[in-house]
Amino acid sequence: MADETVDVLIIGSGHSGGMAAKILTEKGISCLMLNAGPVADARKDTELKPAYTLPFRGFKQPGILPHVFQANEFNANTWVDEKEVPYTYDPAHPYNWVRVRLFGGRSLFWSRQSFRLSDYEFKSKSHDGYGDDWPIDLREMDPYYARVEAIFRVQGRPYGIPQYPDGNFVPDDSPWPQCLQRFVAAGRKFGVPVCKARSSLGVNGLASSVNLLLPDAFATGKLRAIPNVVVRSLSVDKNTGLVNEAHFVDRISRREMSVKARVVVLAAGTLESTRLLLNSKLANSSGVMGHYLIDQVYGPGIVASVPEARDGKANPQMTGGAALIPRFRNIDSKAKNFIRGYALNVFSHTDPMDPRNFAEYGEALEKKLESYNGSGFTTGMMGEVLARFENHVSIDKTAVDAWDIPALRIETRYTDNEFNMARDAVETSIALAEEAGFEVLTRNYDPNPPGYSIHELGTCRMGDDPKTSVLNKWNQSHDIKNLYVVDGASFVSGGWQNPTITILALAMRAAEHLGDQMRQGNV
Amino acid sequence: MRRRDFVKGIMAASAAAKSMMGQQAPASAAAPVAPGTPPPVATAPGPVPWMRGLLDVKPLPMTPLVADTVSASEANFFNPEQTATLRRFAEVLMPPLKGYPGALEAGTPEFLDFLIGTSPRDRQQLYTAGLEKLDAEAKRLFDIPFAQTGNWQADQVIRPWLRTWITDNPPKEPFTRFINVAHSDIRTATINSQAWSAAAISEGKHPPDTGLFWYPVDPDLHREMATPKPELNKRHS
Repeated sequence: MADETVDVLIIGSGHSGGMAAKILTEKGISCLMLNAGPVADARKDTELKPAYTLPFRGFKQPGILPHVFQANEFNANTWVDEKEVPYTYDPAHPYNWVRVRLFGGRSLFWSRQSFRLSDYEFKSKSHDGYGDDWPIDLREMDPYYARVEAIFRVQGRPYGIPQYPDGNFVPDDSPWPQCLQRFVAAGRKFGVPVCKARSSLGVNGLASSVNLLLPDAFATGKLRAIPNVVVRSLSVDKNTGLVNEAHFVDRISRREMSVKARVVVLAAGTLESTRLLLNSKLANSSGVMGHYLIDQVYGPGIVASVPEARDGKANPQMTGGAALIPRFRNIDSKAKNFIRGYALNVFSHTDPMDPRNFAEYGEALEKKLESYNGSGFTTGMMGEVLARFENHVSIDKTAVDAWDIPALRIETRYTDNEFNMARDAVETSIALAEEAGFEVLTRNYDPNPPGYSIHELGTCRMGDDPKTSVLNKWNQSHDIKNLYVVDGASFVSGGWQNPTITILALAMRAAEHLGDQMRQGNV
Repeated sequence: MRRRDFVKGIMAASAAAKSMMGQQAPASAAAPVAPGTPPPVATAPGPVPWMRGLLDVKPLPMTPLVADTVSASEANFFNPEQTATLRRFAEVLMPPLKGYPGALEAGTPEFLDFLIGTSPRDRQQLYTAGLEKLDAEAKRLFDIPFAQTGNWQADQVIRPWLRTWITDNPPKEPFTRFINVAHSDIRTATINSQAWSAAAISEGKHPPDTGLFWYPVDPDLHREMATPKPELNKRHS
């Protein structure tokens, strides 16, 4: 029977776990990675199929994955089934907890939008008085962002706008199509910056832990990994107070096992890391663990049509491409009924229109679809959700998952700040689209349920004060110095930005710190 | 060899074998046996091990047939009146056009009967209440069931409720929601049907909505075994 003590145990294999593994193993530190799901092989596990050959003609199987709006019959087997890993919530305030447990986690499927946080996020309290500042700022994060951007090959165009910080980009010199030129001009009239979006090119079409991070870690010979094991709890040495063991269960056989470790790095995804700590009753002397759950408002937006592109007249000079409107509210002036701000994803579509944009049916609908084909133009909101103590998660002792691990209860809701922001995002979209000469077909003011963005953040926030935060500015537990949490749980505020690049930069920075601490014998 | 002779031969061989075993028995009993030695492994019955040769079997020259190609779904969730209303609703919203099948030719009402019949109760209620109101509206306006409406009459019933909407955010008012969600479902079920796919192929086009299907990755056997069987569809009363 093995009685090994591993140097660093990394729980989770997504972007944050992959980055921690890469940095630590490249420093010569041995790591063991545990992942709750199997290794996926797209060549073996997938097949191109027409919808009619599937049991439900492409519809999501009824009753399955009710909170994963992104799921359909084709991809249903990639998501975590909430019957297997349940969570509870107030039915009046549902939460969409969208999870992937395949090796590589959600890094296999993310949208690849790649943004830095600005000091409007890192130092948000200093700017508007609400909430808390992070214990770090953009200047401190800049070198880590730059290295992450190089690994992920982030394509972008610099603008010199403080709320949309520039980075180490693969240059984006692509021209604007005519419809976006008109939208840029409309934005200028309203004082709204319309910029090029920024996205990770990755390698061979993938920007994941499994192709950009883990191969480097495995190449060192210092990383071993066990798939299909679900960590139940962590325990500490009663003499030292340090975490020293992880107890896990084989996902398939249900065999209970444990492994000893000198250091534990949690990278299981924001809410799974917090759930594990809450179930372990560790690292929560502050009492704020589980609190300040943040996500981002998605759903509000418009669908419009570029009139000149209808009836077969669309061409690559006229349509296609994307833009991004970074936050512009509450920068130099104050919005009347909300603080913070939102960004807008902007797309000019060259594909068929969604029939739901026409109040027609039958032959009349087909004529509309034919006429409007390739003329679509959409905006979609990415809005900041304020960090609030009352938006929180806790352990629900009445529910357990398939391995008898107590489930999480999620209690969160949006308030007028988010709803007012959503209304402003839609009204601004309409104003810009109409100014650009587009026909607005559909508008939606209603946010999707919290969690829909798949950007759950916070619940183990970082800070300088151990009484009000769980982690220090190095993602290290205030209470247990050999415990690090490197996923999105450390966020103090979320901003509007896709958090992935920030999570990666924080994980890199934390792993560098951990490596130094281990070399100095402090951990 | 006649059958009687064959049986005799078998019996003789069997008797000889028994005799040989009998002779061997004392020697076997005298042989030293290590303590704790497990008994001999029982062999599988039959003249050859099971599955021998299976690896050498060539794949069957067979392309599995999708049942919709030759079969009709047996609808058993909606009651006859609701079914008639749904059929007319689907026919009006998605008629055959330009060589492509309409909702009826694609078996959409029967497929939706199956889909809704296996859906959570709130979706079932949206449909059953919606179909009944559709019928009631036709009776209120024209004094005939919706299933018997002409195109102009059906349009008068349906059109006031048509809305534009964005994915994941259908209209909230129940009947408006039904009209627009059902319209979307009818379109999807029709375009994703085998009949539509065949029409596309006959025009030299790829079947619509061909996608990358993910098989279960390392399925959790315990969960598969523990999953309760779905309840049989019950006729809506």
